[in-house]
Formats: sequence, C-alpha cells, structure tokens
Amino acid sequence: MAATDVTGTGVPVPPGRVPSIVVRDLRVTYKAYGGKRNALGDEAEGRLGRALDRVTRHVGTVTEVPAVRGVSFVAYEGESIGVIGRNGSGKSTLLRAIAGLIPTAGGEVWAGGDIALMGVNAALSSALSGERNIMLGGLAKGLSRKQVNELHDWIVDFAGIGDFVHLPMRTYSSGMAARLRFAISASTAPDILIIDEALSTGDVEFRAKSAARVEEIRQQAGTVFLVSHSTATVRKMCDRAIWIDRGLLRMDGPTDEVCDSYERVMRAIRRKKRLRG
Amino acid sequence: MTGRRWPALEVDPPWSASQVAELAHEYGLERVDTPPGLVRYLRQLWERRAFVIELATARAYERNQNNVLGQLWAALNPLLLAGSYFLIFGLLLDTSRGVDNYPAFLSVGIFIFSFIAASATTGAKSITSNLSLVRSVRFPRAALPVSVALAEFLLLLPAIGVLLVLLPIVGEPPRWEWLLLPGAMALLFGFCAGLSMICARLVLDVRDATNLIPVAVRLLRYVSGVFFSIAAYAGHGALSLVMQYQPVALFLQLVRSCLLSEVPQDPLLWLWGAVWAVGFLVVGAVVFWRAEGRYGRD
Repeated sequence: MAATDVTGTGVPVPPGRVPSIVVRDLRVTYKAYGGKRNALGDEAEGRLGRALDRVTRHVGTVTEVPAVRGVSFVAYEGESIGVIGRNGSGKSTLLRAIAGLIPTAGGEVWAGGDIALMGVNAALSSALSGERNIMLGGLAKGLSRKQVNELHDWIVDFAGIGDFVHLPMRTYSSGMAARLRFAISASTAPDILIIDEALSTGDVEFRAKSAARVEEIRQQAGTVFLVSHSTATVRKMCDRAIWIDRGLLRMDGPTDEVCDSYERVMRAIRRKKRLRG
Repeated sequence: MTGRRWPALEVDPPWSASQVAELAHEYGLERVDTPPGLVRYLRQLWERRAFVIELATARAYERNQNNVLGQLWAALNPLLLAGSYFLIFGLLLDTSRGVDNYPAFLSVGIFIFSFIAASATTGAKSITSNLSLVRSVRFPRAALPVSVALAEFLLLLPAIGVLLVLLPIVGEPPRWEWLLLPGAMALLFGFCAGLSMICARLVLDVRDATNLIPVAVRLLRYVSGVFFSIAAYAGHGALSLVMQYQPVALFLQLVRSCLLSEVPQDPLLWLWGAVWAVGFLVVGAVVFWRAEGRYGRD
C-alpha cells in the first residue's frame, strides 16, 4: 500500500482511495466507581499513612482506568479491517468510541456516513415481548415504524424464534435471545459497520447463517471493522488488520503480516508461561 | 502479570489536528465524538420521536405486566388509593384544614405530585439504567429522560380518568373548567420533561446526587401543598408567595383550579405555569445537550 500524500494535507492517502474514518490520537478513560481506592497501586507511605488509607479507602472510590491511549489510523471505503488483540487490550472500547457510543477522553474521530455496531449485546428489555423489542431496536436505529414492520418477518424468521415472538424475552433461552439481538442488528446495512465478536453466537447452523449475512452486509457497507480474538476469522474476512495492545496501536498492515506476528508473540507468551509454571 | 511486559510507550500522533481537519473537510467527513449544534440536536431528537413514544409506552406497559390483572392495575391502583383517601378523610376523620372537599383536594395533590416526583427520580436514572442501550445504539441521549417523563405521564392518565369518575360521586359536579385540564396537563408534561433532563445531567456530573434527589423530593412533598392549602396555612407574606409560585406547588394548584370548584381559575396561575414549563424545557434541553458526548461513561 503505497501511501502518498495526494491531498497535500500531510496525511498520507493512497491514490484512488477515499477515507471513510479518520482517527487521531484517540483516548478513552474509564471511570470505575466502587472497588477500592488506590486499586492501581499508589500505596500510602508510613504507618500513619497506611492507617489513614485503611479508613478512607471506602470513601470516594473512583478509579480512572486508561483503556485506549492514543490511537491513530485512517480507514478507507471498501476496506474490511480486522481488529485483533488480547482480552482487555481495549479493542472493543476503541471501536465503541469510534462508533460514538462511549465518551472519549481526547483525540478525534471523523467519519463519512452512519456507523452501526453489530453485536449480540445490544440491549433489549427482558420484560417486553420479542415483537416490542424488534420495534424498539429498529426505532432506536432510526428506522421508521413502517420500515420496522417490513423487516419484522425477516427478523423473526432469521432468529428462528417462531411463536416465542409474542412472549416476554425473559422466557427465552439465552441462545434465542442472542439470536434475536443479532437478527435485529443485522437487519439493515449501514455505511460503516462494526462487528464485535458477533459471529460466535448460537449453534453451527446459526453461525453459518450469520456469517453469510455479515458477508452480504459487508458487500453493501462501505467499511467494515471486525473485532475478534480469533485470527482465523480475521484472515478469512479482512484485507487489513490492526493489532491493539494495552490501549496502543501495535501494528497496522496487511492481514497476514499482522496476524503472523500476533500469533508468533502469543505463542511466545504461552511457551514462557509453560516454562515458568 | 502474565506474559512479557511490552514496551508500551504512548506515541505522538502522526498527524496534527489541523492536517486531519483539512483532510476531513476535503472528503466531507464529520466529527463523531462531539455532539452536533443545539438546533441540529433537537432536530435529531424530533426525528426519533417514534422511538421516544415506543420506549415510553413499553415502559408504562411493563410496569403493570407482572401479574394476572395486568394493565387493569393502571386504573385499579389509583382507584384504590383515592378510594382509601375518600374513606379515611371524607368519612372517618374530619380534617378539613381550610379545604372544603379534602379527599378530592388530597387525591389531585397526590397524583400530580407522584408524577413530578417520578419524573425526577427515574429521570435521574434514565441513562445509568439504560447503559447497554446507550453503548450499543447511537441516538440523541435526550430521548431517554424525555421518554421517562412520557412514561410517567402515560401512567398518570388512568389516574386522572379515575378522578374524573370519582369527583362527581363526592360532590364535585362536572364543570366547564374541566375542559382546561388538557392545557394544564400539557404544561405539566413540559415541566416534567425538562426536570427529567436536568436530573439526568445532574447525576452525570455528581454521581452521588442519586441519593440526594429522593431527599429533595421528600422535602418538596411537605412544602408544596400536597396535603394542605398553602394559602390557608402560610398566610399572605412574601414567603407564602414563594411557596405558592414555586413550580411544584404551582402545578398542583393549576390542576386543582381546573378540577375543583373551591380553587378559582386565575390567569396568574396559567402565566406562571407557562413560564415554568418553557423555562424548564429550555434549560433542561440546553443543560442536557451540553454534556451529550459524555453520557454512557460507566
């Protein structure tokens, strides 16, 4: 990917590509309430300090946890980008911030078009019936009542919940609930799509069905991000990969190159752990 | 710590903010992480009105769905409550407190006050109790506190219906003034929607306000003339005027002036009702919008 400065702005854009997302120095900090104060070190000094610490530890327990610490990249139309990294590396947080769903602590995100997050944890109300949840989920995405009604049958059919659609969601099995959530979020194709580990839902049959649907959406959507800790999925579906490690961008490049070094490092860690323990 | 500690040093961004802004301008990209201008924000909220209404009806419906009689309780609850007031204060005890029809006076007070109180307390929790929705779908966050106020309003309607049926039975014949009720309710709703947004913002800045709002509500319950007529108790001094024209007391009185023959219609009540409704809506919308990019943090 020859990155030349065709725009004259100082940001390298390869010829013929159109940027759809620009992220510059993005930072996200979690404010964690509860827990203990000084949870992340900062032990008090001296006997008096420690005694004071023991007493005041339960008041004002707000801990700031930096989850994303300055990530920059440009994504282009027609790209599918796999985002890999270990659990807790900040990859989901990063993409939620890009989608404008969680507050940022610094930096900028620019996007061309609407961004949607597809996941199995899109919240729905367990006290309400499947029908009402479908309506609620669709309206929240900005569809009209008429559009949701048109999608209704497709969603019910795709989720395979049948007559359960009339019952409250708390009566659903966890698999049924996850399938319904996926079906609601997969019913429309946005300009920029973020898929967060949604491909591991349900049984083998549903997984194949959802992978096919994601592929369909991928062809309609301009840019796709796939968050996964499975390099196999990323290799299969993406042409570019970004490796996030402890809130920092560790590597950005062609899928195979990034996945190879990621796997190499992960193998090294496992070997080291085995030797030690 | 498992594994090796990577040299995890933060790096400087490869491009400057102005370079990126120029690029964004060239390709028509827009900022995602900052809220739009107020006018555009309100337009986006208006475009999601179907969502606000659906969320409100769903929430109101949900409240009474967990038992056999289901939605009947929306009317049964206020009926039982008002019924017991009429029984206790109308027949068993004689506590008129400067009021001709105390049970009717009290029932209106309780229903309207409960609506205002619920708008404040559930409005304060509207973001935190919908956190997973906030973190998975993008929409103007003001939809949440507004739909909370609307849900409480929908739950108030059957109670008002019950009142309209009960009042003639206890000696308050239907009057032309009843036709003014929708106007008073509209102003009341505007006030509560604004209040709900203000409380939601307050909790964002000071998380501990969640514990203080119920205290404030309890205090207001006793000074707003829910149980007694402020004019009859507090006289006609400056303090009495403040107590009568503070928004909660004012809206109680405004609704009573529409329903009860003993509270006369007063243009001043309507004027202040409009002032409070518009004032709270505008302040609520602005205050809530200014923090739009910050909702959804833990």
